[in-house]
Amino acid sequence: MERGTAVRAVVRVLAPYIGDTMARSATEAHCQRLGISGERVTPEQLDGLLAKLGSGLNVFIGREKSATVIDEARAALASLEAAS
Amino acid sequence: MSGRWRGGPLPWVALGLAALVYCGWALAPTSPLYARALTPHLLVGAAAILKLVYLLSGALWAFACRDRLEPGNPARPAWALLSIGLLATFAGQLSLAPFQIVRNESPFPSVGDLYYVLAYPFLIAAFVVFLRAYREAGLPMGSAGEQLAILAGVAALALAAGIPILRPVVASEGTLLERLLNVAYPVLDLILLVPLALLLRVALRLRGGRVGSVWALLLGGMIFLCLGDISFAYFTALGQEHLDPLVHVTYILAYGLISGGTHRQHELLRS
Repeated sequence: MERGTAVRAVVRVLAPYIGDTMARSATEAHCQRLGISGERVTPEQLDGLLAKLGSGLNVFIGREKSATVIDEARAALASLEAAS
Repeated sequence: MSGRWRGGPLPWVALGLAALVYCGWALAPTSPLYARALTPHLLVGAAAILKLVYLLSGALWAFACRDRLEPGNPARPAWALLSIGLLATFAGQLSLAPFQIVRNESPFPSVGDLYYVLAYPFLIAAFVVFLRAYREAGLPMGSAGEQLAILAGVAALALAAGIPILRPVVASEGTLLERLLNVAYPVLDLILLVPLALLLRVALRLRGGRVGSVWALLLGGMIFLCLGDISFAYFTALGQEHLDPLVHVTYILAYGLISGGTHRQHELLRS
């Protein structure tokens, strides 16, 4: 999947909770830490990214709700993948 | 401030109205409204009750937030510490309330000050633990240079504002305990400002989200708390008791906003 598309989809899901700025900067920071820098991103890299974002979200909204939000992001990514 | 408090915007309207009433009291204390209807005794008693309600609800909601987070969540102890800090402040206010409600008096110093001072280590620790939790979670907290710049800014503000405020307080004619407490509150507030300033940077990045609104309320409340303590120390030291209504406004806003923030976080965790 194209990296920019994936990041936008993830940010759109996280933004209602942590705001657009934090969602974007947290996603970009984790991408950098995980070495996701190319134009495309693999499913394994996306799993790693979502796991990192989920643990960040935990501190704000708890593990259970964080898992629900991350599932929502995963579903958004899956529907994008299916549409492409 | 849109209301997501249970009951819609009503609690926010009540908080805004209370602030207006006490501001009006400060501005026009001799007007017929304040001379005949909203007498000082009534207003001091009402402020005491409002503060108690906000502090107790804030402490309970903060504890409920701690309870909703799973064991091992790094933010869990921070909510517990915030709850204890608010509960200690509630105990201080509770010991003052009978004097305020029955006699229209606010004795100072009193046993309440013991609880107020005791609250600070818990509040400071709560915000330090929040900071550590957010850093551990891998959230972008800014570079060491940015954080140092924030700390330097707080130190400069503390010096610029603290010295002119504390000088008349130290030189005032009160007893040693009065002067110690009047210095201790603003100094403790300035210490509290350090983690708050670092959290403000995080909170600004959270704006637009539900977590951002929680932090806007909590930090707004804490800033009013600092203003309340500083103005209390200053007005007491200078013998400007006629400005007490302004002190009431800052505390009512402080506790109301903090209570609203803890409630909003609780709603977020429950949703």
